[in-house]
Amino acid sequence: MTDLLITPFEHPFMTRALIEIVILGALSAAVGVLVMLRRLAFLTDALTHAVFPGVVVGFMIGGTDGIVPGALLVAGLAAAGFTALASTRRISEDAAMAMLLTGCFAVGVVLVSRRESYTADLTGFLFGRLLTVNTTDITVTAVTAAVAGTVLLLARKELLLRAFDPQGAHAAGYPVWLLDLVLNLVIAMVVVAAVRAVGTVLVIALVVIPAAAARLLTGRLTSVLVVAVLLGPLSGWLGLVISYDASVHHDVRLAAGAAVVLVLVSIYGLVLAGSALRSWAARSRAARRRTRAGSGGAEGPGRPRAVGGPRELSREAV
Amino acid sequence: MALLDSLGDSYTRRALVEIVIIGALCGAVGVHVVLRRLSFLTMAMTHATFPGVVVASLLGVNLVLGAGLFGVLVVAAVTTISGVSGAAGNSGGVGGAGAGRGGSGGGRDVSTVTGVVLSGGFALGVALMSAQDGSNRDLSAFLVGSILTVQPTDLVVSAVTALVVLAVLVALRKELLLAAFDPTALTAAGYPSRRLGLVLLLLVEAAVVTSLPAVGTIMAVALIVGPAATARVWCSRIPTMTAVSVAVAITCGVGGLAVSEQWDVAAGGAIVLTVATALVSSLVLAPLVGRSRRGAPGGGRARSVPAVAVTHQG
Repeated sequence: MTDLLITPFEHPFMTRALIEIVILGALSAAVGVLVMLRRLAFLTDALTHAVFPGVVVGFMIGGTDGIVPGALLVAGLAAAGFTALASTRRISEDAAMAMLLTGCFAVGVVLVSRRESYTADLTGFLFGRLLTVNTTDITVTAVTAAVAGTVLLLARKELLLRAFDPQGAHAAGYPVWLLDLVLNLVIAMVVVAAVRAVGTVLVIALVVIPAAAARLLTGRLTSVLVVAVLLGPLSGWLGLVISYDASVHHDVRLAAGAAVVLVLVSIYGLVLAGSALRSWAARSRAARRRTRAGSGGAEGPGRPRAVGGPRELSREAV
Repeated sequence: MALLDSLGDSYTRRALVEIVIIGALCGAVGVHVVLRRLSFLTMAMTHATFPGVVVASLLGVNLVLGAGLFGVLVVAAVTTISGVSGAAGNSGGVGGAGAGRGGSGGGRDVSTVTGVVLSGGFALGVALMSAQDGSNRDLSAFLVGSILTVQPTDLVVSAVTALVVLAVLVALRKELLLAAFDPTALTAAGYPSRRLGLVLLLLVEAAVVTSLPAVGTIMAVALIVGPAATARVWCSRIPTMTAVSVAVAITCGVGGLAVSEQWDVAAGGAIVLTVATALVSSLVLAPLVGRSRRGAPGGGRARSVPAVAVTHQG
């Protein structure tokens, strides 16, 4: 078993993929907690698509080195654009975001469609190439993670206040729009860092799922953060192992990025089933206790009894 | 105009007919998507139909059929996990005001669950695709669409779907309007609001799947949301909004096709960009026109409706 979990990483390309996915997993999960609190899953999705034209233009101008600057620029613009759009009332936020997203994506598609290797480029961009990351990519990801992590750490109190009590934050004199912009820019950075490795479309899984699963497990914010940050890299590792094992030993080709996401989704499914079971058990226990109270202690003082049947009534009250 | 020159080709004519049908369909359905803020769910549907497409191409059955079946599964998954359907599905919204937080515990709100289902579905599609041998060319076409290759049978399928969806929309117009603006009253009046929400989601799904061949999975959202959002800027009554939305969708579709023929760019991208241009110019122009019209009796009413939509979010 340990062989299975460790042997694949004797190959240098697997080691690089592991380092990349561990950094990305931890970073995205940390940001994901805030994304979940603020319900910004759609914004994350929108940004993943919006960086597409930046990637294309960057690649046209500077080759592979141009991808990250191009994507970063467009992601920053899109995040700022969204912050501005969110403050207008003329069009609902989700519609604005859907158009921002598809519009940017369409620009990318139009640009790419003028090139020869149209579909290959598009596929690589959408699905990523986790196994071909090189040392430069890892450095870029690590630097991005460090910057984003520092920003989050410095502004954690304000961002939390904004998430739980926007009016309170406003009343306390914090510039809410600036906090929104900061968070949107951090999300944009994560998206850009993850684009090359797991592809635009699967970034959202790395961001959203660890936090959502952790939230189902525990209610305290610190524990949610810790569990999420552990879950992200762990599923990255498991996903890589599964992908390697399936491809090498079982002759089933399984894309690495997709395997990571499927592991994440399975974990979420398990946790969801567990929490559903737990709440069902708690509810039936409560119902039993109530029944007993209803038949045994109903004559107790100060408890008015409905004629129709106390059980129906109490259920309705719950 | 290159579009006029190439009208002699049967494929250009078919593309034109297809975009008109799809424009009418998406424009009409989009009104309800925009009013109920279901954009993200629509987005999730388009992404999550992807594994259906891959499975269908592996099995050799109709791609649209596979996509449709999988889309229904996605709708079912999101509604069961988050415990809402349609009408309530908008409560979280984006940048949400924190409303609806009490409803279902954190980690299970609509926005998060939609994100999970979306990425899960897409990853499944990618995994299946990577397991199969090379021929992912037609699948890439499915991602970004290729309206110029629609077949006569596709046209028939689109036309029938459009007719059915429009008929349902007309038949249920009163209930859908009530559900969009006052879901509580709908339930109180004794309508089966859950089932009604589900019907609406299925209609949206039908529109998504039908427009897949034309603009692809990702940009189908633009064709649904864009025209309706444009119409929303100008109109405050649902019948006029629907009419304007359909008109905008058809015009932008044909315009995008013309742009694509003229400068030889991807048709799907060109159509989406035309829609985006229409929306942006409406957003810019509306305040200017509105200012000159402020004295008119209609001006006040038009202004009050966004307020309704805003309170509804909370």
